[in-house]
Amino acid sequence: MMRTTGRRLVSWVLFGLIIVTAVLPLAWMAIAGFKGKSEVVRTPFQFFPEVWRFENYQEILGDGEFVRAMTVTFIGAVIFTLLSLIVNASAAYAFARLEFRGKRFFWLFCILPLFIPGFAILLTSFVVVSSLGMLDSMAVLIIPGVASAFSMFFIRQFYLGIPIALEEAAMIDGASRWRIFTSIFLPASGAVFVVIGVGSFLAYWNAYVWPILTIQNPDLFQIQQYLGNFRQARGNEWGLLMAGSFLSALPLLVLVLVFQRYIVNGVRISGLK
Amino acid sequence: MTTLDGQTTRLDPTAHARVRGQGRRGALQRSNVTGWLMIAPMVILLAIFVIYPLFYSFYLSTFELSFYLEPKFVGLDFYGYVLDSPRFWNSLWVGLRLAIFVVPLSMLIAFLLASFIKAAGGRLAAALKTTIYIPTVISAVVASVVFVFMYRAQGGLINGLLAMIGVGPFAFLSDVDLVLPAMAVPAIWLGIGISTLIMLAGMLDIPEEYYEAASIDGATFNQKTRYITLPLLKNVLLFLFVTGAIAAIQQFELPLVMTNGGPVDASMTPNLYIFDQFRDPTPFARSFSLTASLVLFVVLGTITALIFRLVRSDKAVDG
Repeated sequence: MMRTTGRRLVSWVLFGLIIVTAVLPLAWMAIAGFKGKSEVVRTPFQFFPEVWRFENYQEILGDGEFVRAMTVTFIGAVIFTLLSLIVNASAAYAFARLEFRGKRFFWLFCILPLFIPGFAILLTSFVVVSSLGMLDSMAVLIIPGVASAFSMFFIRQFYLGIPIALEEAAMIDGASRWRIFTSIFLPASGAVFVVIGVGSFLAYWNAYVWPILTIQNPDLFQIQQYLGNFRQARGNEWGLLMAGSFLSALPLLVLVLVFQRYIVNGVRISGLK
Repeated sequence: MTTLDGQTTRLDPTAHARVRGQGRRGALQRSNVTGWLMIAPMVILLAIFVIYPLFYSFYLSTFELSFYLEPKFVGLDFYGYVLDSPRFWNSLWVGLRLAIFVVPLSMLIAFLLASFIKAAGGRLAAALKTTIYIPTVISAVVASVVFVFMYRAQGGLINGLLAMIGVGPFAFLSDVDLVLPAMAVPAIWLGIGISTLIMLAGMLDIPEEYYEAASIDGATFNQKTRYITLPLLKNVLLFLFVTGAIAAIQQFELPLVMTNGGPVDASMTPNLYIFDQFRDPTPFARSFSLTASLVLFVVLGTITALIFRLVRSDKAVDG
């Protein structure tokens, strides 16, 4: 009896520690946003502000460039996520269920990018998109990353696990391949689409290098780019910077909390491990 | 999840159709046009934005590119320049040291967390999994900004906490010896969620009977870890080690935003160096940068392939 109580206590202490270290930087960031200009850099530090001030949050939300960057990034991320689900899921279905000429070759072709680090092709991708005249457009932010070997592979693994009997029944009833894909596979794809969709959204939202290479037009600045520029230009306004950083991460935190059950089990949904 | 893997093989459509015989095969199997149409968007996009750039990189690396002159074929000259460049070698060394600070520690933490989550079970485990995942969604830019703020001498949280035990203050990010360990902290923080979940998935795959049998024989937690968990996690550990090391060597956004490679190149990772060269307006810097990125790719690719090959030939032994 004593032993279980002791163990439970240790568990809860460890639990508390984990939570604290995982979220401490975020909490520190959010709280710093509520501090005054000199208070935020005062030594010795105080965790909580003397007076909770909303000026920083008000100011950053009143900053047209910040709001625009958030909006533009959000729209881009939604389009990017939808496109990448369509493109990768349809290829995943074809590779999981169809037999067609050249399948082996195309499979290797689509899986090869898994072994190419983004940085190895970053510079020539830039050369390619600039010669295509795509610089400074939403298209350059969205399109080059849509096809993803990883997403396709992940969705395919999931499709391989869907019982084939369902399709046989549909085929006997004369349903076309496309019909089977849209009426059996897509409705069954909820969990895997959440995992891959959230992943795509995050990848787009958090991208920094690609936007700073390809976007010069301030109207199209992405949120990470905005924060990077802010840090360079007004790096001493810590309260404001912290408030902006926290707000920029907020949509992602909401996304993860809403879909937490799917995401933390994502490793297992794939059937990879 | 071995059961899913098992199903995977069982449900392989080809195998299935073979069992069902030739008659069904035509209906279930051949659908050239549908197949091509469904993979077409992916194949075309990858061709334009991944495969072509890769080959184009190799092609371009044999030319001298400058803004003023026509490209001139120079063969493998630039490969020589890259391999002769002390700054390139220094950047590799920086990347490697960063990996040494990041990988073992993050694997150890992930292992402890995963063990704890597995032992906790139930609702506590669910809450922990979500919490530990939260840093994963934070962008490298935001993490950089927050950690720069936390490392500050004035009002910085970390120096403040250290002052309570009477040490410091340290200028973490402008000290040649401290900058890499200081950068390893956000790197670990950002990556720990995924590592822990992968480690946990691997642990949950180990049949519970092994542990029960060991308990009956009176094995302690340490013995179980040493003789059951670690050997059976070998492939997961290796996967995390290799991917973690490669990610750390290629770390780019943290040094870019936190220190811009400083002080005096002490945090100049290979990719940051390559990126800097690419934006450098001096003639031929672009060719140099392109070639350096290919050299890095080939080196890392070869190492990864070798390690995974070693594991695969090993698998038969412990399987």
